[in-house]
Amino acid sequence: MSFWQALFMGLLQGASELFPVSSLGHAVLVPSLLHWSFKQSDPSFVPFLVLLHLGTASALLVLYRDQWIQIIRGFFAAAFRGRIETDPERLAMLLLVGTIPAGILGVFLENRIKSLFASPYEAAGFLIVNGVLMLGFELVRRRTERRAAVDAASGVQTEDRFAEAERISFRAAALVGACQALAFMPGISRSGVTIGGGLLAGLRHQEAARFSFLLATPVILAAGLVEVPQLFSSRVRVGEYLVSAVLAGIAAYASARFLLRYFRSGRLDPYGWYCIAAGLVSLALLALDL
Amino acid sequence: MKSTPVAYGFLVLGLIFVVVAVLYVIGGILPTFTSSGVAGPHYKHAILFGVLAVASLIAFNFARPRTV
Repeated sequence: MSFWQALFMGLLQGASELFPVSSLGHAVLVPSLLHWSFKQSDPSFVPFLVLLHLGTASALLVLYRDQWIQIIRGFFAAAFRGRIETDPERLAMLLLVGTIPAGILGVFLENRIKSLFASPYEAAGFLIVNGVLMLGFELVRRRTERRAAVDAASGVQTEDRFAEAERISFRAAALVGACQALAFMPGISRSGVTIGGGLLAGLRHQEAARFSFLLATPVILAAGLVEVPQLFSSRVRVGEYLVSAVLAGIAAYASARFLLRYFRSGRLDPYGWYCIAAGLVSLALLALDL
Repeated sequence: MKSTPVAYGFLVLGLIFVVVAVLYVIGGILPTFTSSGVAGPHYKHAILFGVLAVASLIAFNFARPRTV
């Protein structure tokens, strides 16, 4: 992988990790469509991905630094007291409950699933499935809004009728966490399915995105930190990879800020349509070998 | 849900998870329970079971009945 390819992949990973469009799907599809020759199965590619993930996780930690301090304090307070008394304590326990199923499925199934569905054709197919899922989540949400007779004047007022992340049930948090395992299939977006799960659980769009980003941080960070020893392999160009990781972090920070603003009144539909279009175009380009 | 049997169930579960986490760190003992099937330390699995142990012990603390 050349220096410029590494930079491009860093930017792509950082930008697409938090958008509900599947970073893994894009990481599989884009190099294939551009006929780049580097192999993602190469041992030196894993440390590269590790650094990109650490860059993304760092961006999320910076974005939510105040909340993470409250969550960590709340975690220890509730754990030792044996009782939840405040919102940050509840959020801390919700994140623990949501992280456990993702961790179990990730440790035991991630490599097997990724090796089964690693081709660009499958990534394009799953990208279309991801798009349909996003549209499906919004369809169910609109029905919920109609059933609740929400007749507010603006999207923001409509959103105000729904709950904040701290009010999600523990069962829903576990289900949303387990949904993250779907994202082991390249093309299915981790943030997409968790935001969608949050919407089904009755959260506002912005709160579903916040819960999704908070839920993703420990998993991405842990997955990255565990692989850190691989960075000390002699074949790894740590300097180049670090620049890409910083770029990924900046892109992830900007994406998260944009998405939190967008989801004040915006919906998942545009990303759903984008995924369907990108999947269909990719399939056509791959079939025609252009 | 405050109940003594449930609470002690979580406690036992937590202790089992601690043992399994240690076994994964030592390595060579549980290779059949990893995706690679390779002997040696499996830190990802160890961290997972460490987290499960912490979660079980927290659940024990939440579930145990208290005398006021």
